[in-house]
Amino acid sequence: MESNSIKETNPAFKVITNIFLAIWAIINLFPIYFMFTFSLKSNDEIFGENVIGLPKKWLWSNFTTAMGTGNMGLYFFNSLLVTTIAIAISIMAAMMATYAITRIRWKGSKLTNAFFMLGLTIPIQASIVPVYVVLSKLHWLNKYSTLIIPYAAFALSMAILICTGFMSEIPYALDEAARIDGCGLFGTFFRIILPLMKPAVSTVGVYSYLQCWNEFMFANVFISDSVHRTLPVGIKALSGQHTTEWGPIGAALVIATFPTLIVYIFLSKKIQASFIAGAVKG
Amino acid sequence: MNKHDIKKGLTIFVFLLPGLLLFVSILIAPIAVSVYRSLYDWNGFSEGTFIGFDNYIELFTNGSIKFITSLKNSLILAFFSVFVQLPFALFLALLLGRRESRKERIYLSIFFMPVLISTVVIGQLWLKIYNPDYGLLNRFLDLVKLGDLKHVWVGDVKTALGSVIVPTVWQYIGYHMLLMYAGVKGVDTDLREAAMLDGATKWQVDRYVVIPIIKPIIRVSVIFAVTGSLKTYDLVRILTEGGPFQSTEVPSTLLENMLFLRNRYGMGSTISVMLIIMCFAFALLISAAFKEKED
Amino acid sequence: MKMKRVVSMLLTSVMTLSLVGCGGSQSAPATDTASESAPAATEEKSTESTEAAEADSTTEEAQATSDAGDGEAIDLTMWCIATESDSNRHSYEAAIADMAEKYPNVNFTWEAFENQSYKTKIKAAVAADEMPDIFFTWSCAFLGDFVEAGKVYCLDDTYENYKSELPEVMMGNSTYDGKHYGVPLTMNIVGLFANMELLKEAGYEEIPGTYDEFIACCDALKEKGIIPFGCAGKETWCVTEYLESVIEKSAGADTLNDIFAGKATWNNQDVADAVDTFQKLVNNGYFDPSGIGLTNDEVKNNFMAGKYAFYMNGTWNCADFAANEEFFPKVKVGEFPVINADKAKLGQLIGGPSDTLAVAASSPHAKEAAEYAFELGKLICHYGYLDGCGLPAWTPYGDTSSVNELTQTVAGIVADADTMVLFGDTAMNADSANTYLSYVDQVYGCLLDGKQFIEGLSKDIQ
Repeated sequence: MESNSIKETNPAFKVITNIFLAIWAIINLFPIYFMFTFSLKSNDEIFGENVIGLPKKWLWSNFTTAMGTGNMGLYFFNSLLVTTIAIAISIMAAMMATYAITRIRWKGSKLTNAFFMLGLTIPIQASIVPVYVVLSKLHWLNKYSTLIIPYAAFALSMAILICTGFMSEIPYALDEAARIDGCGLFGTFFRIILPLMKPAVSTVGVYSYLQCWNEFMFANVFISDSVHRTLPVGIKALSGQHTTEWGPIGAALVIATFPTLIVYIFLSKKIQASFIAGAVKG
Repeated sequence: MNKHDIKKGLTIFVFLLPGLLLFVSILIAPIAVSVYRSLYDWNGFSEGTFIGFDNYIELFTNGSIKFITSLKNSLILAFFSVFVQLPFALFLALLLGRRESRKERIYLSIFFMPVLISTVVIGQLWLKIYNPDYGLLNRFLDLVKLGDLKHVWVGDVKTALGSVIVPTVWQYIGYHMLLMYAGVKGVDTDLREAAMLDGATKWQVDRYVVIPIIKPIIRVSVIFAVTGSLKTYDLVRILTEGGPFQSTEVPSTLLENMLFLRNRYGMGSTISVMLIIMCFAFALLISAAFKEKED
Repeated sequence: MKMKRVVSMLLTSVMTLSLVGCGGSQSAPATDTASESAPAATEEKSTESTEAAEADSTTEEAQATSDAGDGEAIDLTMWCIATESDSNRHSYEAAIADMAEKYPNVNFTWEAFENQSYKTKIKAAVAADEMPDIFFTWSCAFLGDFVEAGKVYCLDDTYENYKSELPEVMMGNSTYDGKHYGVPLTMNIVGLFANMELLKEAGYEEIPGTYDEFIACCDALKEKGIIPFGCAGKETWCVTEYLESVIEKSAGADTLNDIFAGKATWNNQDVADAVDTFQKLVNNGYFDPSGIGLTNDEVKNNFMAGKYAFYMNGTWNCADFAANEEFFPKVKVGEFPVINADKAKLGQLIGGPSDTLAVAASSPHAKEAAEYAFELGKLICHYGYLDGCGLPAWTPYGDTSSVNELTQTVAGIVADADTMVLFGDTAMNADSANTYLSYVDQVYGCLLDGKQFIEGLSKDIQ
């Protein structure tokens, strides 16, 4: 609390705010509790009376199943690798494109921006078969890069959109100052703009991560050997045609999600610090 | 054209190249294919027949395809996203963005968590909430003696769409909150303090100082919310499968049915072309609306 | 001796049963010739397979090895849907292990995908010519589209070597224009599963045999506060398990089959009446009203937890029910009673071989793959039957006494079968099937009556 604002803080209002925030926090934490208990139950409990209670029998074996026969360890590694590289590629490409669009004055910049925004509108289902046909002609299936490139491409539009929001907040005076100091366009980009775009990097990172980590359609169609399978496909493969044990699926989902949550909590301080560090006098 | 211009043009090209390469090869080329395929009656693997715009005509005239229903549904969702989800997200972002303490940071992380959790889990959770026999919602209604209001939530035409909208809107509040929070935090603290010293209350500061500054980010959020609603897919699949009686179909579920269940690849392409056109039109419209306000 | 009984029953079924295929008009004559030629071959086999099962399998093995011995090392890949938690998983694993011994020269790799997403995957693969050598498919329309596009290898030549073990009737669903394109694995029918404990509460010791008794039983159950039927409205194929049985037992198997095969239109008064009969069951409150918002997983669990007296679903459930020690003693399986005895009779069933292996035309080793697919299919079928995952499409061999009682009862029902009509959504082409499902959905929700159902479908399905 800033000290200079105490005078106008109504204590009743403060209490209400805090109660509200606490309730909202519980609502938002509930899915995590649900997922965790779900992962330790059998079908009888999942579909029975004990919907949200603690498991009556703690089936840790669900985790053994998910890790062992479900092979979640490998899929986790694959997902991590694919997602990380895809995000890195898309951020770099997006930063560069955004720079060309927002910081260099030229005629086609608006149109180019609109062109990139087309990417937000494309339903992933529609591009599966055409992309698949091309990849197959290039003999480019069943590799990590088979997924990395499309993921980077699909994350690109959003990355550009977010970057534009941030980059347009950076005052143009900085560019001019740099130019006077003898920086070229490349120099300005790498030395002045990129360091200021830190908060955008973390934001774009989080959002691209969401897009890639849970992506199912491409991963299902493009990857046919289980060595390169990613988590969403691996988790889906735990259900059968007529029978599905939901417990191991819950366990696999915990394996897929908890590390993310932990990393997120751990990093959130850093991410938020970067927001503030990157705050630009506007 | 002088040497400077050429150099500038080259620089622009180099900066755009990686993005364009990715973008055109993976996204634009398939759209072109979709446009071409939308003019064919084609099942995806055998020979197709050219039928001109027949698919487009059928899409709007054949009631059993339910395209109009699906459009209506996603527009309703878009409405709730823009007018319920975003204001709420903005409210949270402003509330948390004002102060800087450990507690706020923890709240921020918690509020974002539903976004990080797979829709499979969110879907299963809401199925347990909606379950007609042991679901939490019906149990709660019994508890407060409102048993008359009990429903087979996802199986009743009257409640099914609402049952999909509520979780979808809820899950992505955190998504927009974080985006806006980043913007709020980008606002210079000196500016805030200056306004405070001028006697503005916190809400006035938010209204007249912070919101105008983060407008570009709000615009981004609105575009995401609308295009996201038009493309919504996961929770519909898990919660209702487009049912009952296809009353909760959205364009993406129809699209998938056409492409991969009904083997009507041509019609599927038609839906995707329509979807792209609409999303793009909305994105332009929203951008234009924001421009107008600024001027 | 139980084992002998089951085997001989299955064989009789093969002889008398007319299993109606879907591969266009040619399938009917094919069926006829099969029922003439099959008895000779299978009768001979029956003595062999029951009394000299051991010896028989050894000779087969020897023969297979000699076939494979001179081949050079090749790579074969297969895609299927036998995921870890699928009930067929074990039979695939066991069969593939046996095959590795039989064909040391084949470097065989296989991948399993989830059922729903597999449909997307295999269709995309067919479009891009990226199919594996051997792939799992559903018979009739699903495979038919690929065959029509010329993407599937014809199995006629290879089938010659397996005629004695795989009756031609079983090939009907994967026969197009008189040519064979698929190796059937298991077959399943729709069974009327009953929780006998609940039936006893209503005063019934057996599943009622006539429709009137059946309705009386439902009323008695309702009076006791027991819900007669559980049906997952969120997955329309579950509704068809009920509706198709009602239509078949009212209008007759041939009528229904002609409609599914496109030989007759939906505009049929008997069908309309049957739909009205079905809706009467719904309106009488025999169905769980919650069912419309439930998935099959949820409904099946409710049934096993004793919420419903009856559950009409595929006989693939036998294995699951048998595996549940608490539930298994309570459950019995039977046939849905005849509603209109003038047109239908007992022994008219819904079901047939649907799970199928096919070979890609693009495979560089298509001929070897075809032989491999037959051998593998035979083994999967064998192990799947032992596991209770369904009835064998191949003539069973070896000791089958360990098959669970439910599956044995089903084998008995099939042995007495007269006609089988394949599940509508498998029999019809993809577009029609989905239109049909959306109409069924509306019938279950009572948005349409019988008349509107037949009129709408005859208009929307050409």
